[in-house]
Amino acid sequence: MGDATVPRAPFRKNLAATVIAILLGATLSGCASSDQEQSLTIYSGRSESFIAPFFKEFTAQSGIELKIRYGDSSALAAQILEEGENSPADLFISQDAGSLGAVSVSGLFSQLESSLLDRVETKFRSSNNDWVGLTGRARVFAYAPDRVSKLPTSYQSLIENQYKGKVGIAPTNASFQAFVTTLIQYQGLAAAEIWLQKMVENDVKLYEKNSQIVSAIDSGAIDLGLVNHYYLWEVSESLNRQINVQNGFFEAGDLGNLINISGAAILNQSTNKSAASELIKYLLSDSAQLNFVADTHEHSVVLVDARPEGLPSFAEIKAPAVDLSRLSDISQTQKLLIKLGLI
Amino acid sequence: MTSLEINDLSVDLNSRRVLKNLNLQIPSGSFAAILGPSGCGKTTLLRSIAGLITPSGGAIRFGKQLVSVSSLVLPPHKRNIGYVPQEGGLFPHLSVAENVSFSLARKISDQEKNQIVNEMLELVGMKGFNDRSPQELSGGQQTRIALARALAMKPAMVLLDEPFAALDQALRVDISEEVVALLKKSGTTSIMVTHDREDALVSADVIALMHGGTVVQSGTPAQVYLNPISAEVALSTGDIDVIPAIKLANSQYSTALNEVNFNLANQPAANLGQILIRPEEIAISDEVTAGAVTAKITKINYYGHDALFELKVGQSLQSIRARITGPSQYRVGDTVSISHNGPIRWISSEAQELNL
Amino acid sequence: MKTKTLDENLHLESIEQPGSGSKLLALLSFFALIFAAIPFFYLIKGAFSGELDLIKTVLLREKSLEIFATTIALMSCVSVVSTLLGVSLAWCLHNVNLRSNSLLAALVILPIAIPSYVYTYSWMSIIPNLQGFAAAVFILILTTTPYITLAALAALRRSDRAQLEVAQTLGLNKWRSFYFITWPQIRNTVSAGTLLVALYVLSDFGAVSLLGVDTFTRAIENLYRGSFDRGAAAILALVLVAISAILITIESNTRQRSKVISTSSKLMPSIAESNSGRSRFLASLLIGLYLIFALITPLLQLLLRFISALPSIDYGNLFRTALSTIFASLLGSIIALLLALPVGLLSSQASRIGSLTDKSLLIVHALPGIVMGLSLVAIGSELPIVYQTVALLAFSYALLFMAKAVGFVRTSFLRVPKNLMEISSTLNQSKAQSIRRVMIPLATPGLLTATLLVFLSAMKELPATLMLRPTGFETLATEMWSATAILQFNEAAPYALLLVLIAAIPAFLINRPDKSEESGVNIS
Repeated sequence: MGDATVPRAPFRKNLAATVIAILLGATLSGCASSDQEQSLTIYSGRSESFIAPFFKEFTAQSGIELKIRYGDSSALAAQILEEGENSPADLFISQDAGSLGAVSVSGLFSQLESSLLDRVETKFRSSNNDWVGLTGRARVFAYAPDRVSKLPTSYQSLIENQYKGKVGIAPTNASFQAFVTTLIQYQGLAAAEIWLQKMVENDVKLYEKNSQIVSAIDSGAIDLGLVNHYYLWEVSESLNRQINVQNGFFEAGDLGNLINISGAAILNQSTNKSAASELIKYLLSDSAQLNFVADTHEHSVVLVDARPEGLPSFAEIKAPAVDLSRLSDISQTQKLLIKLGLI
Repeated sequence: MTSLEINDLSVDLNSRRVLKNLNLQIPSGSFAAILGPSGCGKTTLLRSIAGLITPSGGAIRFGKQLVSVSSLVLPPHKRNIGYVPQEGGLFPHLSVAENVSFSLARKISDQEKNQIVNEMLELVGMKGFNDRSPQELSGGQQTRIALARALAMKPAMVLLDEPFAALDQALRVDISEEVVALLKKSGTTSIMVTHDREDALVSADVIALMHGGTVVQSGTPAQVYLNPISAEVALSTGDIDVIPAIKLANSQYSTALNEVNFNLANQPAANLGQILIRPEEIAISDEVTAGAVTAKITKINYYGHDALFELKVGQSLQSIRARITGPSQYRVGDTVSISHNGPIRWISSEAQELNL
Repeated sequence: MKTKTLDENLHLESIEQPGSGSKLLALLSFFALIFAAIPFFYLIKGAFSGELDLIKTVLLREKSLEIFATTIALMSCVSVVSTLLGVSLAWCLHNVNLRSNSLLAALVILPIAIPSYVYTYSWMSIIPNLQGFAAAVFILILTTTPYITLAALAALRRSDRAQLEVAQTLGLNKWRSFYFITWPQIRNTVSAGTLLVALYVLSDFGAVSLLGVDTFTRAIENLYRGSFDRGAAAILALVLVAISAILITIESNTRQRSKVISTSSKLMPSIAESNSGRSRFLASLLIGLYLIFALITPLLQLLLRFISALPSIDYGNLFRTALSTIFASLLGSIIALLLALPVGLLSSQASRIGSLTDKSLLIVHALPGIVMGLSLVAIGSELPIVYQTVALLAFSYALLFMAKAVGFVRTSFLRVPKNLMEISSTLNQSKAQSIRRVMIPLATPGLLTATLLVFLSAMKELPATLMLRPTGFETLATEMWSATAILQFNEAAPYALLLVLIAAIPAFLINRPDKSEESGVNIS
């Protein structure tokens, strides 16, 4: 701790400077060293364990390297919105149309090639051609078969006394919000508000994620929940066992049978738009779509007649026709949910 | 070798005037003691000299160098003074050698530093302690190292703040003697603050007595002891007794110690007053001659090297004390004759100042 | 600065003007404060850009009152109980001879390494339907008690035994001597700990979201993610800021009044004195129960799951992730220290600016991680060179936890005996030299503790990390989180376990009593 004599001091200072330089270089290289030409940055709202195999297959086939940032669709959307034109993302894959719509409205997406858009029907893509659906998810009610003897025929049934305190919903989840948006579009704001209000009075349980709802049914905390159909498999595979839950559909044509989509969009400021299109093309290819049906139990937006195991096809479900990219409706939905204290 | 000159120094702390119009001169090379009761401002004075406090007025000079004028000050690290605090104040994270060499400039080579360190350690009698850590040292050892540290930079002056206060009585005398001898030998002007009058009387070339924020008297120990200018000063340097006196006629005064003739340069104007005496100025004898002043022994405090007797004089029952050396045959209750051998120090009844 | 040149060319200075040194310090502190204020600027911008209508709806709905009440209630319950528990544990460890006091102390502090979401998951595995307010109180008490225990233990070690012994000879029993003698001495340190706990509860998201308790942070998070209108979320966050400002002010006001300075300059070592069988039994019981709930149970849970996950562990990824975590957290803690040094130094010199900065930094503590994350995304994305780099991530850790660091830095500097600095100045050292050669070396143990604390907190951090990490860069916390997000609790366990094990090292180091506590003046 005493004085350093003349020879020692510069050495110590030099050492410190070198170390700092190394650290600085190492940390800043997090961004700079990325190989810009053939590497895509993806923000994926779909979780790693389910979509990673697709990404790997794509890289093997095309040679394009992928840098994937996994997260929650709406959190990623919020991040992209915050990043704006400075976002490093090339591609955004979302679990729901709401997140896609929110970013779309800010003008951050670029127009997709018609070859991609033409692969799917108009109802499965954005009306201004800046995002396209990849898979379809049916809204269902999950239930415990041993505890629910009388299955609800409509979403309206859930306000009945027999279901008091036994139903779960996930209001912050975009799929649920899409459902409420449908209600507003078809039945008007007042009716939607009444239904929600009655659900609250019927002691509906709130969860943050669909998987939590399914899990809660399995553990007995609730008997029924409004979720997307494939969570049954997702939860079962995650827990590595059979769960005491089954999917049920409301009557054909019921608004509760909404079909949601997961989709992808290319960011405007991306410099890898062709590579990004390649990836979307791959995900919309017949082989990938079949894999979605087989592995993740989702509906294909391309092969509309394909039926995931244990589920009816699109046609059989008779889902209501809803333009999911109308954000103004979604924000109205959110305001309603906030007003009622559900968010 | 630097002298210290302080003119009209005032220091305010927490809106209280702690030092008022203080004047002090310490010749270069001398060992000065600043003596006074707690709260008189002596530590404040020392810290002002060191530069740790900014005065509100007055000037301090080291030799010809002005170090403080009104509130303009030369910062402590430029004053080249050594400071030895009350409890060593060694840096706990440095070894003894590192402590001692702390003030030495970076440009000096390690070799030279070691040399100086060893020199200093030898000077204070702590040779070989280079690599020890301050926590391992006793109080006295710490004080010595602190001194070595202060001396290592060849300071113009060394300031000591009650350096021996924390030491055991037995050690204190030895160490203080050593330290004082060392400082005097090195010819460094030294200023020691103490509340212990024995320390001051024994060590100092110059004693400055402080009271109420100012120096009331300074001089050699003998001067200050024998010729105090006030009762307070007298009390600071030793025991005193105060005896009432009445003027009988010119040059004639009556006290309990019988009539006293004394000639003063200034005859006191008042008819009533007091005389201040030191116990050792009273002699007692068991021969009671006629006309002698007698007193009865009421208490004997035995100190080994001497004894302090408390006596009640004659009819007036005035209490005085006498310091008697040597073995004594007296007992409490004995009646003895007393006589006074010493200067007459007159205090007038209005003021506490003494006329001699 | 007035100077007066003399014949010897030495300049006298007027001490009224602050020297250039303290101006530099003030400037550096100012910068640190600006950085720490980034989330506020973000919130204020967000609040203004929001839709007034929605803001009104959010503020005036019934639910908001509910959220307010729930948050305050949660914060109060947890603060009170964890303070009682923490002080009791510290007292037992300090005063009751349990044969292996230092080992027990290390174990009792260890839960600081376990993040709140890990606690929640472990206990949810045992009690499947763990939900609601009481559950959240329970989990948060487990999470926050170590902070109080740490503070109380440190304060007890510094407290004056002599006074205690005198009190006992005067006939005061244990309770009364604690209340009248010990408590005033440790009170300030403990209350600083309680404040940290309260602010933490305000900001916690992991536990309350899993347990379904509607606090401000949860509402804010939901608003940010459930709706794309940022205005309402920003307003709620600003309400949170207001609450924490009030808390901080209350704490600092109750603190001023009791400034206790120990009278004995030599402190006796903490030899536990109480040997009565009953005390030992009760103390052992308390500590034992605490360890079971706070340490043994979650660890066992993790271990069991870890064993189930053994066949499918990707060791390569585990190792890489651990390294990344350590690297980013270490970098973050160093930056935090550098930012905290000028602030702590200034604040320790009783400067108004310094203590104001100190307190303002604490407000950051109460902010939900998502606010910090988004604000740094907003700014960071404007600087492509640093965006989504480890450097920015480390920097965000520094901002998040700087407040903790500043507190420790300040007390470390305060505990350097003032007379040593004076002595140094009489030994030809300028102020800067004295700081470098005396103050900093003596403050180093405390500075190290500050760094370790930030390191520990950074390792556990989740929401900001999720947003700011470089794509492909995972920490143990983020890997754990993505596994649990899809209910893969077994797969999450190795990451969680490794996180706790690595975090245990700084936790253990923080608790060691340091040498500088054995000398010098004690200032509460």
